Amino acid sequence: MLTARRRVVATAVLAAGALLLTSCGDSDSGSSGDGKTLKLWHYEAPNSAMGQAWNEAVKEFKATHPGVKVEFEEKGFEQIQKTAPMVLNSSDAPDVMEYNKGNATAGLLSKQGLLTDLTQEATARGWDKKLSASVRTTSMYDTNGVMGSGKWYGVPNYAEYTMVFYNKDLFKKYGIAEPKTFDELTAAMDKFVQNKVTPLANAGAEYPAQQYLYQLALSKADRAWVDSYELYKGKTDFHDAAWTYAAETYADWVKKGYISKTSSSTKAEDAGVSFLQGKAPVFFSGSWWYGRFVDEAKFDWGTFLWPDSNMTLGSGGNLWVVPKGAKNKELAYDFIDITMSKKIQNLLGNKGGVPVAADASAITDPRSKALIDNFNTLSQRDGLAFYPDWPVPGFYDVLVSQTQKLITDSEKPDGYLDALQDAYDKGAPKQ
Amino acid sequence: MTVTVEKRGVTGKAAQAGHPRRPRDSYALFLLPGVLAFLAVIIVPFLMNTYVGFTDWQGVGSPDWTGLANYRELMDDSEFWASFRHSLFMVVAMAAVPTAVGLVLAAALFDYVGKHFGSRVTAVLRACFYLPQVLPIAVAGIVWSWILAPDNGSLNALLKAVGLSSWQQDWLGDPDIALYSVMGVMVWVQLGFPLVVFMAGLQRVDPQLYEAAELDGAGWWRRFWHITLPQIRPEIYVVLTWCTIAALKVFGAVYVLTKGGPGGATDVPSYFSFTTFFEKTQVGYGAAISTVLTVIILALSLIGLRLQTREEDRS
Repeated sequence: MLTARRRVVATAVLAAGALLLTSCGDSDSGSSGDGKTLKLWHYEAPNSAMGQAWNEAVKEFKATHPGVKVEFEEKGFEQIQKTAPMVLNSSDAPDVMEYNKGNATAGLLSKQGLLTDLTQEATARGWDKKLSASVRTTSMYDTNGVMGSGKWYGVPNYAEYTMVFYNKDLFKKYGIAEPKTFDELTAAMDKFVQNKVTPLANAGAEYPAQQYLYQLALSKADRAWVDSYELYKGKTDFHDAAWTYAAETYADWVKKGYISKTSSSTKAEDAGVSFLQGKAPVFFSGSWWYGRFVDEAKFDWGTFLWPDSNMTLGSGGNLWVVPKGAKNKELAYDFIDITMSKKIQNLLGNKGGVPVAADASAITDPRSKALIDNFNTLSQRDGLAFYPDWPVPGFYDVLVSQTQKLITDSEKPDGYLDALQDAYDKGAPKQ
Repeated sequence: MTVTVEKRGVTGKAAQAGHPRRPRDSYALFLLPGVLAFLAVIIVPFLMNTYVGFTDWQGVGSPDWTGLANYRELMDDSEFWASFRHSLFMVVAMAAVPTAVGLVLAAALFDYVGKHFGSRVTAVLRACFYLPQVLPIAVAGIVWSWILAPDNGSLNALLKAVGLSSWQQDWLGDPDIALYSVMGVMVWVQLGFPLVVFMAGLQRVDPQLYEAAELDGAGWWRRFWHITLPQIRPEIYVVLTWCTIAALKVFGAVYVLTKGGPGGATDVPSYFSFTTFFEKTQVGYGAAISTVLTVIILALSLIGLRLQTREEDRS
């Protein structure tokens, strides 16, 4: 017979064990694995081009899979980004999930064996034929988790790229023509500065600042340079001509007033809003802004690719991945297949997205057509150069904090490039 | 074992005789949920974190045991030490200044406003000072980032409106000013807590002490220095300890206001640990930073508690 104290201790031990088991383990939240439920996670806003296309894809999936329930959970980008490894390691993993592409994200998960190898499905269902080479780069990862070769671990259904958004009304107001060359762009910016208008919308606390800088470097770069930097196919020297030009030009632009000295703490949203409010006549950023500008801009605006540069930032969009522990993988493949269908791809294109497998004649909206035409131009000249923060985990924060120093003039270009070199060398795989 | 045997005998006899069970055993059951929660939420994660701190791990797969390598790296990591220096600034902003200002304000509200304007006015003012404590830090941070925005922020607009354009600053974007701006926001956030605790403490001070001092001709400042301060010393220790701990682990305000920028000028250890853990996926190193931070906080808490106990013993 147990004493009262022993009973307390025994109960405590049993309860603690139960509690720990519950907290650590097998809390299956309902996925049966019997082919009757598709558990889907993505983080696209419902009114975005992708959100609308994926909603339609879910409807299509339900129509073609009677009796199958779709359990959709809307997640935040940050939420999935920060917790994916832990979730995918548990029994709560979804069947199909949207995930960020790149070495430090999808590459890392594939290296750790958390994602399903989709190579066979990609070939059998023809996804490999639908995606161009530069878009396909982010789908494939080698055994070290480096993109560009190896097995398929994800499928992108859309693409993204950066461009110059410009306010035609403001250009007209100050008698400036649409710049066709880089010199014309800088001349236009000079004219704005003379009229006490800061020409470039910038955000030092988030990605726009580093994207200006990377674009400046890309204007002096080629595919081999990008492959060295992004795919480690050679040594990356941050004091080479391209990076040096980029850092010095960026610092110079701050001095000349093209970029506001007070933009070091502003966020991407602030930069987009300052363009939307007609304060900044030029904003260099990604196609993800396109739909919003169509909806909200109260002035005439246009876009052009960065002048005198063969390459610009961009890639295939985020990936559909199938976790290794997914219970209904066949359903997941079917869903991905639907998102690659002409019907969904055309819808994506007409809603302001950049589809990867659309029927060109089915895109009827003129702005969407221009957006897709620009993408095709880039794609044909192999001009997608990915993003500057991809090569090394945590490099995004390094780029943010170091570029802030360039904006506030608390670091010179040389020191800036030293800091990037240091962080890159520490984080990049050893060759 | 002897005790158990004796106890079993006593329990058996007591049960036979219809006596109630000894209360100590019954009370122990009530502690059980708390103990289990403490184990599951504090002790187990802490031990796991300590273990991970001795490994090289990216958060998935198998961690590699590296012994003290992370701690050696930490010693030479200038970013960590810079973040730790910023923490000391946060201690000033979240513990020293709010405690000092809170003391004066509490005494003024209790001793002056209460007497001349009544308890209702005092209560309203106290609530106003406490309001930032009730607001979620994310909300307060976003509002303050609007106020401190360089181009269209209300602080710069106000300065311009009153003819102080030369005082306008990029409050959160200038590396020389950003840390002080965050400190200012944290003083505003933190002030209400010491104020409320001190006002509660003042309730228990014998009013006759003040009356006697007043009769002797002591002014407000002398009464504050010689009566208020010594009488509420225990509350001061509690507040200082509590606020110092809060300052060392401050995260939300930095995350919302500056994300550690510009150029790392406002980075603090908890945010540094967070980015190392989740952004750089250096989970082992991030865990080592957290462990060091936990040890420092524990040590400071113990010192604070010890001082408090000694003070209580003395009084």
